[in-house]
Amino acid sequence: MKKSSIIGMIIIAIAIGAIVSTYADSSTYGSFSEAIKTKKELHVVGKLDLAKEMFYNPQQDANYFSFYVNDNNGENCKVVFTGAKPQDFERSEQIVLTGQMLGNEFHASKILMKCPSKYTEDKIEVTEVSAQGKI
Amino acid sequence: MDIQFTGEHLLPGKLGQFFIVLSIGTSVLALISYFFATIAKDKLDLSWQKIGRLAYRLNLVAIVGVGACLFYIIYNHLFEYHYAWSHSSKILPVYYIISCFWEGQEGSFWLWTFWQGLLGCIVIVKAKSWENSVMTIISLSQVFLATMILGVEIFGAKIGSSPFVLLRDAMEAPIFARADYLSLIQDGNGLNPLLQNYWMVIHPPTLFLGFASMIVPFAYAVAGLWQKRYTDWVKPAMPWALFAVMILGTGIIMGSFWAYEALNFGGFWAWDPVENASIIPWLTLIAGVHVMIAFKNTGHSYFTAAFLVIISFVLVLYASFLTRSGILGETSVHAFTSMGMDTQLLVYLSVFFFLPLVLFIINWKKLPITKKDEDTYSREFWLFIGAVVLFVSCIQIIATTSIPVFNAIFGTDIAPPTDAIQHYNKWQIAFAFVIATISGFSQFLKYKQTNIRKFFISLSVSFVVAIIVTAIVVYVVDIYGNVMYILMTWAAIFSILCNGNVLSEAFKGKWKLSGSAVAHIGFAMLLVGALIAAANNKVVSLNTTGIGFGDEFAKNNNPRENIILYKNEPTKMDKYSVTYLGDSTSGVNTYYKVNYKVTNSEGKITENFNLYPNAQQNAKMKQIIASPDTKHYLLHDIYTHVSSVPLKEEEHHEDHEGHSDDENYQKPVVHEVVVGDTVRFRNGFLLVKGINKNAKINDIPLTDKDVAIGLNLEVHANETVYNAEPIFLIKGNAKVDFGKKVDEAGLKLRFTNVLPEKNKMELTVYEKPKEEKKDWIVLKAIEFPYINLFWGGTIVMVIGFILSIFRRAKEVTGA
Repeated sequence: MKKSSIIGMIIIAIAIGAIVSTYADSSTYGSFSEAIKTKKELHVVGKLDLAKEMFYNPQQDANYFSFYVNDNNGENCKVVFTGAKPQDFERSEQIVLTGQMLGNEFHASKILMKCPSKYTEDKIEVTEVSAQGKI
Repeated sequence: MDIQFTGEHLLPGKLGQFFIVLSIGTSVLALISYFFATIAKDKLDLSWQKIGRLAYRLNLVAIVGVGACLFYIIYNHLFEYHYAWSHSSKILPVYYIISCFWEGQEGSFWLWTFWQGLLGCIVIVKAKSWENSVMTIISLSQVFLATMILGVEIFGAKIGSSPFVLLRDAMEAPIFARADYLSLIQDGNGLNPLLQNYWMVIHPPTLFLGFASMIVPFAYAVAGLWQKRYTDWVKPAMPWALFAVMILGTGIIMGSFWAYEALNFGGFWAWDPVENASIIPWLTLIAGVHVMIAFKNTGHSYFTAAFLVIISFVLVLYASFLTRSGILGETSVHAFTSMGMDTQLLVYLSVFFFLPLVLFIINWKKLPITKKDEDTYSREFWLFIGAVVLFVSCIQIIATTSIPVFNAIFGTDIAPPTDAIQHYNKWQIAFAFVIATISGFSQFLKYKQTNIRKFFISLSVSFVVAIIVTAIVVYVVDIYGNVMYILMTWAAIFSILCNGNVLSEAFKGKWKLSGSAVAHIGFAMLLVGALIAAANNKVVSLNTTGIGFGDEFAKNNNPRENIILYKNEPTKMDKYSVTYLGDSTSGVNTYYKVNYKVTNSEGKITENFNLYPNAQQNAKMKQIIASPDTKHYLLHDIYTHVSSVPLKEEEHHEDHEGHSDDENYQKPVVHEVVVGDTVRFRNGFLLVKGINKNAKINDIPLTDKDVAIGLNLEVHANETVYNAEPIFLIKGNAKVDFGKKVDEAGLKLRFTNVLPEKNKMELTVYEKPKEEKKDWIVLKAIEFPYINLFWGGTIVMVIGFILSIFRRAKEVTGA
């Protein structure tokens, strides 16, 4: 066999290996009820529940932050994050949590927030006091 | 019913829009002219070429015009324009106004088209016989980029997004019904604080110059196919390819440095999709450069060389699609949000993908593809293998980065790996090991054929020395627990030794070869630096005193990486004694002064430095945006950022004299005291030590008739003794007193009156409420070992590229 075809085959094998591993390592998006069933880590997409208490008291423990999230199925669950409260957390309009269920709490190892940050938000701030006020 | 709006400046926008249209017109004209110049039978007729040149140069003028108008608008804070309103504000200093310019998609497209215009003009001067065909391809790309900022609707489809859109056209709001709406808009939205960093002024232009310069080798490769000059495109394309690789590499590392210096994700590389998007074309073009050299010297690997150069630019376009279409949505924090230009980006991508594909198919039979295998002991063979390994490593990065794309195409719902960094590292360390090894031993190989015995003899020396050095290094930097890390370190050291060998030859006179050797050494240093810094960075702010939140919480014990520091209370953190000393505000940033001290066993202070991590407090938004501060040592860095700080109330914290400062304290307690008395307060006690009848007050001259008495107090709190001297003053008929604060004890002491009839003095004690007594910050600190190898390696690599560019450019002119 020609050397180049051997090399070609090895390359294809490695490339397939890399792609397969991508999907072996990849996770799934799920809901809290699915998180209860599985032992694996997964991603839960949801919204912060502002009605319930968000707890972060660094003077008590700088690495404990808990809050409530409604997942996309509307299920509500307490989430615990070992770390400081992320900046701009209240304003996030969507949260992607990575983690797993532990008892009744979802323990997140990573939080990714999508914020309508001040800098992309199309909201004009009007400075005149009397007129229309804020829009 | 038209409203006559007042105060608007419409001219710069109209002019800018005119320049945009002009830039499209001239680029189309350049495309057509150069196309006809290329296919013209009569090679002596230069009329098409002349028009092409003129059109392309005019195009650059138009682009500069667009930039000037946009800059005028941002610089003068013309908030009637959406771009200025959404990306800038009045308080920004001038150099950040430049960053505002490319914060938005339109501005960054402008940057790209500007560089492409400039590079094209250089090609016109330098390309000689290649000018017409190469410029046709570049003009085509220029047409696409120009339409990206057009912002016109044609048949219901929006083409591009113009930076000159007026605020009142961009959005709807009731205020636009008023003719004087502009007077209500006082300020713009401002620049994202994370981008307010000097690296953000220089990083985007560098990165986009890198992206833009990739069109040139691409255009040469395609023109080579088109003009059937299959072999001679390599030589003139070579310096351009090296230039692109050098600039893009520099741009990527600048971004990495920015992330390390300004963002608080705690590292220099996170395998974020946006980072990946920029490194993929870089890796493929690096591979391309190597195969081009092999092809030039031996005639082998033509297809691989052309393919890699072409795919690199296609991947640049793919990267733009990923970052600009909003498709990365849930997987990246950095990506732009969609602007409805997905289709346009896809058309651009497909044209530049299918055009070379078709040319390949048409010319397939005639391509100079060698039937003979390369010799195993030849340089060209291993150049080829190295390039292939680089390409496979790219496939791995592309596969994982593109998960959202696959989801969009196949309607699946796959999430990216939960630990992305781990996932990438496990593959990329293996690839880097192979690449570094090849970049080492191939230095001893010659083109065509090598004396095998000599090869193994010279190799074995470097091989053995590398093993010895590796053993020492992995022991010293403490990474011997991981086999992959050891192998990777060995490969990099081996590569440094082999290339060092070549470099020593260069000192004997073979200067030509030094470029690649220097670049390889830099690359190997970069790999080792990244490996050690990433593998062994250590969170030093581990919290060992955390108060439990129940067993359930403790079991799932993630490392507790944040630590709370109270003002003036030293806290032990690893070998450091860390003290939060206070904050100061400058502009929008609040700087937290944190002192680090290391004391050795004899009680001598061996290290003592202050860091000033800062946070932008936005009281209105109830948020902070933290930026780290780093102490750089030669062999390691101490990186520190605040994770949480008490939010400041807007009015209260201003401690100006006389300004309702007392609100910060509890209701004062009045004591009538004599010398020797003890007064207790919540956190301790104070002693009245004596009276100073000659007290002096700064800035107030005293006459004989005035009486100023100081009360010497000794405050005992926090196991420390503080002295304070509040002063009571009778000036003329007025009684005034000057209080003294003991912030450390949360006290304010006022000597409010003298009561001669009782022979007592009145001391008023203000105490801060309990919870506000102490200021605190939550801090995270990471030690990055040997990170200077990473930055230093980058610089060495860039120097190597520069040397190579000079060599290859000389070959072009010399030929």
